[in-house]
Parts: sequence; C-alpha cells; structure tokens
Amino acid sequence: MKFVVYGVPTLMILIPLVCFLAYSFLEQKNGVLTGSLTLANYAAFFAGSYLKVFLGTLKLAFFVALVALVFGYIISYLIWRLEGSARYLLLLLSALPLVMNYVVKIYAMRSILGYNGFLNSLLLSLGFIDVPSRLFIFNQTAVMIAMAVIYLPFGILPIFLALDRIPQSLIAAAADLGAKPGRIFMTVVLPLSLPGSIAGALFVMVIAIGDYLTPQMVGGSEGFTFGRAIWSQFGMAFNWPLGAALAVVLLVAVVAIIALASLISRAGRVK
Amino acid sequence: MTVMERFTVTVLWVIGVFAFAVLYAPAAIVVTLSFFSIKNHQVDWGDFSLQWYGKFAENAQLLESLGNSLLVGACAVVIATVISLALAYYMKTGARRGQKYIEFVIFLPFVLPAIITGISLLVAFREVGLERSLVTVTIGHVVLILAVIYRMIMIRLDTLESSQIEGSLDLGANGFETFIYVVFPQLRSALVTSSLLAFALSFDETLVTFFLVGGDTTLPMRLWAMMRTGFTPEINALVSVVLFVTLAFATLGALSLRQSIERKA
Repeated sequence: MKFVVYGVPTLMILIPLVCFLAYSFLEQKNGVLTGSLTLANYAAFFAGSYLKVFLGTLKLAFFVALVALVFGYIISYLIWRLEGSARYLLLLLSALPLVMNYVVKIYAMRSILGYNGFLNSLLLSLGFIDVPSRLFIFNQTAVMIAMAVIYLPFGILPIFLALDRIPQSLIAAAADLGAKPGRIFMTVVLPLSLPGSIAGALFVMVIAIGDYLTPQMVGGSEGFTFGRAIWSQFGMAFNWPLGAALAVVLLVAVVAIIALASLISRAGRVK
Repeated sequence: MTVMERFTVTVLWVIGVFAFAVLYAPAAIVVTLSFFSIKNHQVDWGDFSLQWYGKFAENAQLLESLGNSLLVGACAVVIATVISLALAYYMKTGARRGQKYIEFVIFLPFVLPAIITGISLLVAFREVGLERSLVTVTIGHVVLILAVIYRMIMIRLDTLESSQIEGSLDLGANGFETFIYVVFPQLRSALVTSSLLAFALSFDETLVTFFLVGGDTTLPMRLWAMMRTGFTPEINALVSVVLFVTLAFATLGALSLRQSIERKA
C-alpha cells in the first residue's frame, strides 16, 4: 500500500519531470540523439533570437496580467459590493466562460478580430474607420487582446476572494470613525485586497506565458511567442533537446513568478 | 452617497458591463452564426436554419473524436478517482510523513504551465517506448485532474469525525471494511462533484493533449485541425453543441457542489 501510494504520483509526475530536465542536456546531431551530455541547447537560447522572443513573451504575458488585474478588480469589486443572490449569480457568470471550450474561444476571437471580423465591422459602421484595419489580427496586439479576453475569468475569482477576506469589522470601524466611502476604499479596502489581487494576476501571467495555441491562431508570423518556439521544436523542427531546454527556461521564469506571487500574498497577510 | 461617489460607481458599472459583454462575445457570436449561412464573408441574416446542425451530425470524423473525448474523460475520471481515494484514505488513517510530498507532487501539473506537463509526459513515454495513442492521452488527463479530485475528497474527509473510523476499527472491521461501509457512503456527493468537474476539465483539455495525441484524436484536437484548414459553418453548430453540453455539466457540478455544502452545514 505504502509503495503504491508514494510510487504512483512519483512515477506519473515527478519522473517525467526529471526526464524532461535530463533531456534538455542531451546532444542531438542531424536529428539523432548522440547520447552525450551538452550545454549547447542552453547556449542556443542565449545566442539565437530566442532570448528576444522570450523577453517579448514576458512583456506580452505581463500586459495580459495587467489587463486581468485592472478589469478583474473592477468586476470583482462590483460583485463584492452586491448582496444576496445577485452576488453569487454574477460570480457564477464571471466564472462560466472558463468552461467554454478553449479552442472554441480562440477561434471566436479570431472571427472577432479578423480583417473581415466583427470588431472591424463595428468600427466601420460606427464611422471610426473607413477601411477595415489590420491592427487587430496577426500581430502581438491580437495575441494580447485574445489572451486577455480568454484569461480574464482566471483573475476574477482570486481577486474576489482577496476582497472577501477583508473583515467587515474593519470597514465598519472606518465608517464609524467618519471616513467616507472613497476614503474607506483607498485606506482600507484597496491596501488589504491588493496583495491577493496581484497574486491572482501573476497566476494569469503564468498561464499566458505558456500558451502556444492562441498565438498560433491569431498571431500570424508577427505574433510569434516563446511557447510557439518550444512547440515547434516538438513538431516541425523536431529538436526535442532544444525544445526541452527552452521549456526549462520557461519553467524557471514560471517558478520565479510563482515565488513572487506567494511572497506578495504572504506580505499582505502579515499586515 | 455623494454625487461624486455615485458617478464613480456608475462609471465602474459601465466598465464592468463592457467587460462582461467582451467575455461573452465569443460564445454569443458562435452560437448566433450557427443558425445562418455565410456568403462571400458576409452573414446572410435572411437565411435562418438548422442546416449546420444536420451537417455536422453527418461528419463521421467529428462524431468519432467526440466519442474518443467521452471515452478518455470517463476512463481518466475513474482512474484518477481510484488513485485519489487510495491516497486520501491512506493519508487520513494515520500520521503520514509523506503527505506534504505527495500533495506537492500531485499539485505540480496544476500549477505548472500545460506545456511543461505535456513535454514531460511526452519525453517519459518515449523513454519507456509507449506509442502515442488515446492511452497516453488518458494518462495525461489523469495526471492533470488528480489534484482536483484529491483536494475535493480531502475536504470531505476532513469534515468526517475521525472517531467514526476509529470506532469502526475498534469494533473489529478491518481497514477495507471501514472504508466500504463507513467512509465511502459519506464521500458519495463529493465524488459526484469532483467527477463532474474533472470530466469537464478533461473534455476541454487541449494544451497537454497536443503533445500526447496519436492517430485517434479527441474533440478539441479535431476542432483545431478543422479550424486550421479553413472555415466551415458546421464548426459553429458543433461548437454551440459543445458549449451547451459543457454548460450542462458545469451546472450539474455547481448544483451538486451547493448540495454537498448545504449538507455539510
């Protein structure tokens, strides 16, 4: 029993992770693994254009997280102010897009952002533009918008929970001492909920950074991201060790972001 | 409320309603378009029909991938539930030193980006010489949903009085009998909820599956392939159906979650 209990998760999760780490040090020549160890895969990351793509993707994911933080906070705050069943109905509604099929959402985003898409039709009919714009499709902006829409619901729930953790007594006390709602928000609600909210947004950043399908669908050639670079090593380029090394770089970034998030939320809790 | 505050709240609501509209726009557009035909990139609003729903029902490849998805989801949920039950029950019936370690490991795939989990499993399968097929996909889904099911079983087990287990053991039942007659009946609602949620996760899973899929594909893979090769309106119809099915599952899950919370209270 003991063997099974500790063995199964180790075998299914930990050992594959170790294999993956080991793979990043393998040498591959002419599409064949030579069996010797090398750091060349990591050197390729720093020498080639991968570093630039990586930094670009970090920036992209950061903006997606920022959008999730701002809009997620506004939505969560509005829901948090409500009472009774309206509160739970809206909370459910904000989580519901999570169960819509992911591929379907990317596809719908393309039909919204595309050259003949709904956004362009809307802007045309409102008279903002005369010809359909190519600004919203097949570039980094398109990837950013699509990811922001798809991943916003992941931000709403943690931010709502951060708001919900604030003791009502603190708000009541501030009101009793004569603070107006605006001041209560600035001095009590915002400082107490911000750490948890930022942690939630960083979680969105982690998801966005590893996504390789959304950029493929709406990004075109300009919307190349680090996730796509990794994915291509396992597909057409067929260089698994290099792909593994790039993925390790991604893993390091993700672990750093998660560490930052837990640091921020812990610092917020001590106060 | 002062005028200024009322104004601020109104502005916030306008932004909030806008954000909600954007969140639901993708679904709304797909469902609406599934009833109309498209000519020269223009939607023909005069032509309302259910023809695309009939068309996709004739698409054998699509139906096959739908069947695969249901099969993979069902198998993954059953396997992950058995593993989670064993893990959770083992952890609960004594002071176990490895609990932190086990929880850390099974939560890894939940926290790490899907692409990392996908690559890890792909590399491991290659090392043991397992060809990519629905079996590898199922294993991948088990790894992904393990944390969800384990967590929900653990939450329910935490609310059980440990005296119940101790009493049963004192009265002469062995560990297995205690599990079957005392623990399991009380876990039923938690198992229903976690199965529904885990199935929904598996049914929608794309980013890990891509690394593990062989010749037989699941529904998201098939959808992706269809969307890459070009637009056909029957995709809209299929997507609408998928939307409603997942919605139904999610509602069932939410309802049973509420039930089990109420029962606890």
